[in-house]
Amino acid sequence: MSYQSRSGRMGQLVSIGTLNMPMISMTLILGLIGVMVLYSVAGGDFSPWAWRHATRLALGLILMYVIANLDLRTIFNFAYPIYAGIFILLIAVEIFGDTGMGAQRWLDLGFVTLQPSEFMRFALIMALARYYHTLHRDDVSRPTGLLAPIALIGLPALLVFAQPDLGTALMLAISGLGVVFLAGVSMRFFIAGIALAIAAVPVVWNYLFEYQKERVLVFLDPERDPLGAGYHIIQSKIGIGSGGFFGKGLAQGTQSQLKFLPERHTDFVFAIYAEELGFVGSLLLIFLFAVLIFLMFNIASQMRHRFSQLTISGFAFALSIYVIVNLAMVMGLAPVVGVPLPFISYGGTSLLAFMVGLGIILAMERQPMADLPK
Amino acid sequence: MSIYDTEGQDFSRRLVLLGGLQGGLFLVLAGRLQFLQVARSDVYATLAEANRVNISQISAVRGRITDRFGELLAGNDRNLQIRMVPERVANMDATLNDLTRLLKLSRSELHDIRSKIRRQPSFKPIVILEDLSWDEFARLNLNLPYLSGVEPLVGQKRIYPHAQSVAHLVGFVGTKTREDLQRVDDIVGDYVGRSGIERDFERDLRGTPGVRHVEVNAIGRTVRELQSEPGEKGRDLALSIDLDLQNFAAQRLNGHSGSAMVMDIHNGEMVAMVSSPSFDLNKLSRGIEVEEWERLIDHERKPLVNKAMRGLYAPGSTFKMLVALAALEEKLIDPEEKISCSGVYKFAREEFHCWAADGHGPVNMVDALERSCDTYFYDLALRVGIDRIEAMAQRFGFGKLTGINLDGEKSGTVPGRDWKRANYDTGWRTGETIITAIGQGYLLATPLQLAVMTAALANGGKLVKPRITKAGDAVEPVAVLGLKPENMAVVQRGMYRSVNRPDGTAYASSLLIDGARMSGKTGTVQVRRISKDERLNGVIPNSKLDWHLRDHSLFVGYVPHNNPRFAVSVVIEHGGGGAQVAAPIARDIMVQLMNNKAITKAPKLVMQDKPGMNS
Repeated sequence: MSYQSRSGRMGQLVSIGTLNMPMISMTLILGLIGVMVLYSVAGGDFSPWAWRHATRLALGLILMYVIANLDLRTIFNFAYPIYAGIFILLIAVEIFGDTGMGAQRWLDLGFVTLQPSEFMRFALIMALARYYHTLHRDDVSRPTGLLAPIALIGLPALLVFAQPDLGTALMLAISGLGVVFLAGVSMRFFIAGIALAIAAVPVVWNYLFEYQKERVLVFLDPERDPLGAGYHIIQSKIGIGSGGFFGKGLAQGTQSQLKFLPERHTDFVFAIYAEELGFVGSLLLIFLFAVLIFLMFNIASQMRHRFSQLTISGFAFALSIYVIVNLAMVMGLAPVVGVPLPFISYGGTSLLAFMVGLGIILAMERQPMADLPK
Repeated sequence: MSIYDTEGQDFSRRLVLLGGLQGGLFLVLAGRLQFLQVARSDVYATLAEANRVNISQISAVRGRITDRFGELLAGNDRNLQIRMVPERVANMDATLNDLTRLLKLSRSELHDIRSKIRRQPSFKPIVILEDLSWDEFARLNLNLPYLSGVEPLVGQKRIYPHAQSVAHLVGFVGTKTREDLQRVDDIVGDYVGRSGIERDFERDLRGTPGVRHVEVNAIGRTVRELQSEPGEKGRDLALSIDLDLQNFAAQRLNGHSGSAMVMDIHNGEMVAMVSSPSFDLNKLSRGIEVEEWERLIDHERKPLVNKAMRGLYAPGSTFKMLVALAALEEKLIDPEEKISCSGVYKFAREEFHCWAADGHGPVNMVDALERSCDTYFYDLALRVGIDRIEAMAQRFGFGKLTGINLDGEKSGTVPGRDWKRANYDTGWRTGETIITAIGQGYLLATPLQLAVMTAALANGGKLVKPRITKAGDAVEPVAVLGLKPENMAVVQRGMYRSVNRPDGTAYASSLLIDGARMSGKTGTVQVRRISKDERLNGVIPNSKLDWHLRDHSLFVGYVPHNNPRFAVSVVIEHGGGGAQVAAPIARDIMVQLMNNKAITKAPKLVMQDKPGMNS
C-alpha cells in the first residue's frame, strides 16, 4: 500500500502540508479576488454577494481538503456511479427543475439548489478518464473505442442543451473532447469531427431557440440591438475599455456602480474587475489563471496512472476553457453564452464544483503509486 | 513499463499541444485587453462618461416686463406644484385616491392627471397639479410620507397684473411644446413667449439657462448631482408705455372696437398703445379651453388682433394734410386761394359729395382743413394728381412698415398707377384720384402709420421709427422729409383750427391745460356705398345702421399745439363720425397725459408760444 507512505495510517486525515500548496494558494487567491470584486460590485458592501461568496469559498476549501483525503481507488471505483448519478439528476432537472433565467438548470433539493450540469463536467471527465484507463492503447483510435466516449459526452450534452443551456452544453462537450484528445485519439478523427461540426452549423441553427440565435447574431453585430441583446456586449466593452491602464479603483467603476452592466456579479464580473483595476489588474488575473492551469498540467504530467493523468489534465482543460470563453465573451470576442468566470463569478454550484475538482486533483497527486486495476 | 513510457510520451505530446493552444488563446485575450484598455481606452472612457452623465437645463428666471416707470406688467410668481414619478409610486390607484381626498380633486382633474401619467414614460417626473394654495400644499407636505413617488415642488409661473390693458403688447407665454425642445429636457413647467413682447424679446427675457450634470444609472434615475452652473436671470425689459395712461386709454376704449395710441414725436416711444377689445393674458398663459380659444378667434371684434398695428383702415380725412402738403410743396396752389364748396363736386359725369350736404362756401386751405371740406380737396386732387399724392404718402411712411420693434405690423396700401396696373390690370381713373384725396378708396393704413404721420407733421417733417421699449440714450435715427417749414405751418394751422375753432370739426374736443392746446384732424370713413336715393331722402344716420355698416371714426392729433411733444391716433371701427367718437377719446387721453406728473415734468415739454401759430 504505497499511498500510506504519504498519508500516514489509514483513517487518519492527511496533513495539509503534504498537499500541493502552490495550487491551493492560487485557488485561494482567485477566490479572494472574487470576494473583493463582489464586494466592489455591491458598492463596497459585503452583502449581498461577497460575504456569501467568502462563505462558499471557505466551505469549498474544507470540501477540497476532505476530498483530498479520499483513497484514489475509491475515486476510481466511483467514477462511473457518480457519472450515472449526476446523469439521473440531469434528467430530474429536466422533469422537476425550476426555471431560472429562462432555462431549466436548477434542482431544488430543499436545502440547496443545485445545477447538476456544473458537476456533470467533472463527472464526465472522470468517467472518460476511467474508460481510457482500462481501454487498451490499440483500441483508442478504433471506431469501436470511440462509441462509448461519444455516448458519455453526447447524452449529457444533449440533455443540458435541451434545458436549454447551449453554453454549458458546449462547454461540457468541449471538456469531454479534451479528454478524448489527451487520451491520444488519432488526429484524423478530430479533423473529421471539426469538418462535420462546421457542416452541421446550418442544421443546428434551425434547432436553436430564438434567444440563442439572437445572441449569436448580436455577437456578430452588437449594434443591431444596442438596448436589448447587444446591450451586454456594448456596456461590457465600455466598462473594460474605460478602465484604462490602471483602472478606476475599487468600487469606483461607473459602469458597474450605476448598474449599466447587467449580470455584473455573475457572468460579466470580469468587466467590473477590468473597469476598476485596469489593464494591469486584468493581466494579473489572466496570469493567475494561467499559472493555476500550468500547475495542474504540471501535476498531470507527473502522474503515472492514466486515470489521474487524464482527470487532472481534463480538469485543467475544462478550467481554461471556462476562463477563455468567459473572458472572450465579456470582451466581445465570443457570443454571450452564459459561462461564469471560475472562482470569481458569484454562484455556489460553479465555485463548489471547481473546488471539488481541485480536491480530486489533490487526492490524485497525493497517491501517484496507488494500485489501480488495469 | 515500455507501454507506460510510450503512453507517457504520447500524453505529454498531447498535453503540450493543448497547453500551447490554451497559451495562445490567453495571449489573444491579453491582446484584446490591450486593445480595449490601452489602445482604445479614450473612446470607451468617453462612452462611459456619456452613459453616466445626464446633462439637463435649469431654466433661468424669466425677465420682468415693466412700464416706463417700473410698474410691473409681467412678472413671476411662485407656483406650488405637485410632481410625480409614476414608477416610484407603489400603488397608483391608492395614491390618486389619497390625493383626491387631500386636495378635493374633481373628477375631471383626476381624469387629466391620469392621462398625463399615461402619456409619459414612467421614470420621468411630471407635474400633475399646479397653482396650489398654501393650505393644500401644506396638507400635501404633511402627508408626504404616505405618498411614495409624489413630491412637492415650488416652480414659477408668469403673472400679468394688468392682464387686459397691455395684453396685445406684452403677449403671453405658453408651456414648451415638443417643437420648442431642441433636445431632451426634463425641466417641467417651463414656458416660452407665444405673442407680443414675450415672443419678440424671448431671447432677452429668457436669460441663460443653467446646466445641471447629474449622474444617472442605466434606467435614467438620478443618483446624485455632479455639478451645476446656475443660470443667468433673464433681462428685465422696460416698455415705453406709461401704465396709467395705458389703463386709462383701455378704459376709455371699453365697449368700442378699435385702437388708440400716444407716441413721443421725437424718439418714437409709444407712451400708450391700446387695442380693444382685449383678452386676459393670465388665462391664455395658463392654457384655455378649446371653445374659449375658438370664441376669441371667431369673435366679430377680433380681440386677439392688435388693431393698433394690424388693423388696416382707409385714413379718411386724416389724409388731407398730405394732399395739402403735396400741393404746397409743388406750388400748385396758393394756400389763400379759395375754392367754393356747394356740397357736390361734379367731375366727368360723376358727382362727388362733401360731407356737408349744403356745402362750405368759399374756403382756403386752412379753412378746408379746419372744416374738413371734401370739395376743396376734390378740386386740389385734380391739380396735384395721383402721382404726387402717392409719392407724398410714401414719404410719410404709408405702404411700408413703420419698423416698430413688435412683430406683426401691417404695411397697408398706397395706390398709384403702377399699383393699379399690377393689382387690377387696368389704368388709373381720375375719379379715383378724387376719392384718394379724401383718404378713401384703395388707400389703407394702420393707426400706427397715422401716428407716425402725425408725429412727422408735428415735429417739422421728421419720420421717426416707433418703438415699444424705452429709448434710453440711443434714439433711432429718423428720416428727415425735407419739407418747407412754411408749408408745414399751413397744415399745422389747419389742424390747430380744426380742434380749437368753433367751426372746426373737432371743436367739441378742444382742451386747454396750462396754455397748451391740442391740434388734430378728424376722419370719418365710409364703409358702405351711399346710394342716390339715400342722398335724396337724407343719409341714414350711423345709429340706425348695423354695426358693421357704420362709418369708421378716426382722429389724429398732437399736443401741445405750440411745442409739439406727443402724437395721438385713435381709430374706432364702425364708431360713426370722427368728431363724435374718436376725437373725444383722443381729447380725454391727451388730458390724462398732460396731467401726468411724471411725463409733463420731462424736460421736452416746455409750454411756450411760437409767434404766428395761433393766428
